[in-house]
Amino acid sequence: MRKNTSRVFVLTISILMLFIVGASYLHITNGVFDMSVIDVVKTLLRIEPNPKFDLVIFEFRLPRIVIAALVGIGLGMAGVVLQGITRNGLADPGILGINAGAGAAVVIFMFFFQLNLVTADMSRWVSILMMPMFGFIGGAMAAALIFSFALKNGHLDMQRLILTGIAINSGFGALSLFLSLKMNAQDYESAAVWLAGSIYNANWIFVAAMLPWLIILGFYVYRKSYLLDYFQLEEDSITSLGIGVEKEKIKLLLASVGLVSACVSVSGSIGFIGLMAPHIAKQLVGIQHRYVMPASALIGACLLVIADFIGKTVFAPSELAVGIVVSIIGIPYFLYLLVKSKA
Amino acid sequence: MQTAFRMENLSSGYEQVRVFEGLNLSIEEGKVTTIIGPNGCGKSTLLKTIGRILKKQQGTVYLQEQNMQNLSSKDIAKKLAILSQTPVAPGQLKVEELVAYGRYPHRNNVNRLTKKDEEMIEWSLSVTNTLDFRNRELAQLSGGQRQRVWLAMALAQETSILLLDEPTTYLDMAHQLEVLDIVNSLNEQHGCTIVMVLHDINHAARYSDHLIAMRQGVVIEMGTPNEILCADVMRKVFHINARIMEDPATKTPVCYGYDILKEPTDEH
Repeated sequence: MRKNTSRVFVLTISILMLFIVGASYLHITNGVFDMSVIDVVKTLLRIEPNPKFDLVIFEFRLPRIVIAALVGIGLGMAGVVLQGITRNGLADPGILGINAGAGAAVVIFMFFFQLNLVTADMSRWVSILMMPMFGFIGGAMAAALIFSFALKNGHLDMQRLILTGIAINSGFGALSLFLSLKMNAQDYESAAVWLAGSIYNANWIFVAAMLPWLIILGFYVYRKSYLLDYFQLEEDSITSLGIGVEKEKIKLLLASVGLVSACVSVSGSIGFIGLMAPHIAKQLVGIQHRYVMPASALIGACLLVIADFIGKTVFAPSELAVGIVVSIIGIPYFLYLLVKSKA
Repeated sequence: MQTAFRMENLSSGYEQVRVFEGLNLSIEEGKVTTIIGPNGCGKSTLLKTIGRILKKQQGTVYLQEQNMQNLSSKDIAKKLAILSQTPVAPGQLKVEELVAYGRYPHRNNVNRLTKKDEEMIEWSLSVTNTLDFRNRELAQLSGGQRQRVWLAMALAQETSILLLDEPTTYLDMAHQLEVLDIVNSLNEQHGCTIVMVLHDINHAARYSDHLIAMRQGVVIEMGTPNEILCADVMRKVFHINARIMEDPATKTPVCYGYDILKEPTDEH
């Protein structure tokens, strides 16, 4: 039985990799400026480099694909953790307000700092590298608020968690909107685009800003993923096994807040990936979290690369923010899950 | 005598509600002890408190003469296992996988089971007669089968003490005895200390060495089944007029009929 599961897992992972490569291929060759495969391969392998192709691939398309994949991985993993520790299949960093908290913190950051720092190159680097930090503080604050309201007799009440999540979500959303309206026109535009969840202005600095977070926290939650199996039992049974439930949950929660914040700080608020990816992963590889976690990460990456490709091409030459594309796919899926969970 | 649990001035409850207060009680090792009493008397609360599922509010619990406060949760998990009243697990989980969860406190590598782990899982499945459906998913099991699987998970924890919170609830008569027979054999053949909460006083009398009778957070009486299952104690604890005789087959007292007491004897 066990062998069978791991074979399914390897197969799933391989197919997902193929999907990601395929989507990246579409993404990199299509756009305002079409390129052939040969051009792309030649450019990537540095055979007869052409400065025009170099610019398009290395400055525009590649960082964008990389960011889409990284954000997808981060949200996919965070979704698995949140659904695991809340034992609620509808939990999602977006619904729980962590996105909004991180988003508000980044808008505050933009509001106070970015204004003076646009020109100087060095400080721009520093400020962009600091954005995930700010995102994390905001996300952690949102999480702390949600959890302090959801805590009842020292236990997490899941219904209250979702309800406060929704409230916190709109609260922080309103704060972000208010602050962005106070900005000057140019800053407002960039904030608004960012808030809608877009990655079209992705660059390598963003990649550098989020990558360390993703590697460290991703590795951490993967190592802890076996605990999520135990968290599917009710609390008394977990305690009986000698697991410090609250402590482990808080650690995992903070790790997922960190993942989400890193993602939000570069891509704005992209919802539903953290909801959809774990569900699809569980359909594919079963309920053991050491399989679900990597599968969900890759599904998240896959979904985002595809969604960004759709956003880029469907209304070309104008672009649809990837967050909006994801929502268009995500909302029906969310409703479907809601209906299914009632039945 | 060696004590499995010794409670000193123990108080526990939920939030503002004190369920019991200043309890002093010892539970013997190697014996089957059953806590009985009416609904809301604090029997489950007591079991949860000594099993550290519920945080005590005051006092001390000694587990095999060691202050439980000084033991890590994982160390406690190697000494005692608790089967809670309404355990929950995902329906797609396989029997064997759930039982393997019981090995958690003994595992160092979380992704691979050792030979010892496999042996204990095998043993737990065979003691509880669940080997036949080890590869089935939990959702496909009947209530009686599921309860035995949960018991198997607790056994896989390899502890000398087992706490069971109403292990026979929701089971039909035959399946109730099935579970209690397993519990009995664990005690007799493997020397397990059992502390459980039961609603059926006849089962309690038949399968226990000691009974603890509680009412409104107070231990009314403690002793052998013959000392507890008598008209006088039943009146005080359950407010019933019990008709009691000895079951010739098991030589234990049984209550074969009862009426609600018209004039309560205690503070009401």
